[in-house]
Amino acid sequence: MKELFPMKQVNGFIFSMLLTVIALSVYFLDMSYSVALTILLVTAFIQAGVQLVLFMHAGESEDKTSIYTTTFYALSIALFTVFGSLLAMIWGYMF
Amino acid sequence: MKLDHSQPLEYSTDQNRLNILGFWIFLGAEIMLFATLFTSYFVYEDRIGSGPSGADIFEITPVLIETIILLTSSFTIGLAIHAMRINRTKAMTVFLGITLLLGAAFLATEIYEFNHYYHIGATLQTSGFTGILLTTLGTHGAHVTLGLFWGAMILIQIMKRGLTPQIANKSFIFSLYWHFLDVVWIFIFSFIYLKGMM
Repeated sequence: MKELFPMKQVNGFIFSMLLTVIALSVYFLDMSYSVALTILLVTAFIQAGVQLVLFMHAGESEDKTSIYTTTFYALSIALFTVFGSLLAMIWGYMF
Repeated sequence: MKLDHSQPLEYSTDQNRLNILGFWIFLGAEIMLFATLFTSYFVYEDRIGSGPSGADIFEITPVLIETIILLTSSFTIGLAIHAMRINRTKAMTVFLGITLLLGAAFLATEIYEFNHYYHIGATLQTSGFTGILLTTLGTHGAHVTLGLFWGAMILIQIMKRGLTPQIANKSFIFSLYWHFLDVVWIFIFSFIYLKGMM
């Protein structure tokens, strides 16, 4: 039975639950908007990293360079799309 | 067929290795798909017109249930792949079965939530905000629904044919998909729900 629950996976699960609890603090505790948003950004991206590396075995195979390249490429397009649009349509800018 | 026994079963042929890489590239496209949905969400978040805002309609309980269910299912599919790698077919089918049950429970909660939104007057047509909210949540929910059927087919194949390299490969790719849906949910949970409620 024990060999079916490797420490790596169990710890990853506990860690992801812990990150969820930390993220939840923005709802239950009183804090400023920028502090709360920072907490959410940090916990969400760590959480994504845990899933990617630990559970999706991203760094285990020979083609890990290709896997990381395609992921980071997609991620940078994603971030440019989100923040570029926010800059152009919500935050605004001045010349 | 050439089998490389130094690799896990799902990586044992060249074709299998390429299938996995190909799926990562597909996941890259999925990241961009969800990025455009999040972009539209952030742009339309405050355009509530005469409809409700996020703070008015979000409820912490169903959201928390969905998050815990999906995180747990991501853990159990990880355990299924681990069991597969140590050749414990029976344990693998059990973990895969639990994952699918959790997926169904997630979907049931989300359907309850959508029904609730509908009854309090937050529909696709209400405002820019509710339109993009339901589109984003719905796209994720549609992915989970597809995953349920996909996972069920794999489960049937394992039970009928046992763990062949091909089925191990399919199972591993399915696990990548499932973990990815969990990652997307984490962002929905953080930047749609929690951000909307704080």
